[in-house]
Amino acid sequence: MGPRNLFIAIVMAVALAAGIFLAVRMQEPAAPTTAFVLPAPTPLPEFSLLDQQGQVATRDSFRDQWSLVFFGFTHCPDICPATLQILSAARRTLAENGQDPLPKIVLVSVDPERDTPELMAQYLDYFGTGNLGITGNLDEVTKLTKGLGIFFEKRPGVDNNYSVDHSAAVLVVNPAAEFHALFSGTHLSENFVRDLPLIMAAY
Amino acid sequence: MRRLLLCALLLFAACGGDPQPPLVASDVVITRPMPGMTMSAGYLSLTNNTDTTLRITRVVSTQFESVQLHETTIEDGVARMRSLSALEIPAGETVTLRRGGKHLMLMRPTVASDTVSLSFLDGDSPLLSVDATFESQVDRE
Repeated sequence: MGPRNLFIAIVMAVALAAGIFLAVRMQEPAAPTTAFVLPAPTPLPEFSLLDQQGQVATRDSFRDQWSLVFFGFTHCPDICPATLQILSAARRTLAENGQDPLPKIVLVSVDPERDTPELMAQYLDYFGTGNLGITGNLDEVTKLTKGLGIFFEKRPGVDNNYSVDHSAAVLVVNPAAEFHALFSGTHLSENFVRDLPLIMAAY
Repeated sequence: MRRLLLCALLLFAACGGDPQPPLVASDVVITRPMPGMTMSAGYLSLTNNTDTTLRITRVVSTQFESVQLHETTIEDGVARMRSLSALEIPAGETVTLRRGGKHLMLMRPTVASDTVSLSFLDGDSPLLSVDATFESQVDRE
């Protein structure tokens, strides 16, 4: 092999190495940028509540699908509908992008005193079909929220009204009914559209 | 002649340009109460065209029993809603009431209506009246 052929061989070897390096890099999955993925998913706590049809809802209600879980209440005219609207919009865009499976949107009431299953049904129907509403006994709601590090507290308001302070986070629950990842507020639809498929694909 | 010119100038100064109302509302969105609910939210921008701070201490509506000034905040991951005793709009500035921030909470509709009239007051002094049509909360799936 002459020096000229040796040079060509070296150039080809370098090009091949660079190609392999780039191919390997490109195969590395992109990481979620706004969601925090738990290093080890944790099972949802045991609880017994009601869905918006008045049927029993338990940890098992979360199995076999991905869920986006938001804590709120119906007597909340600003941030709760805004968040549900953002989640609905994200779900719609994911559907348009061909994402399969799509996450179920779940609202857990932090105001079960006022939020009857009937009221939850009316409220959720407004944001589209296929959403799950969970309400019921306050102690059972607390079992669920405490186990997930979700805070809520009733606050007296004016005019015979009260408000409920609550964690703004949206939790991602995986098909094994485990708390898998978390989106912190303030929420944007595009954050869910970008990160959810990555989280699901890595599962 | 000079006197006439002066008069004309004064007249022009008095009538010149568009006389701006002291407080102007824009981008008004009043959400329709959701089925089964007796409350909705209002969002708008308020521009103060005067050279003094304007204060809104009361909002009343002919279609709602009560309208309150509220603010949603998210601090340390917790969403809170608090009522505001007043909304101040500094001279020459615009204050925007928006989702997830300052907003109006309209409670207990008194009549079935497609429109809503709001009056913004400082105590008993009216500052501004706004008429709007209800808007849906969501783009349905």
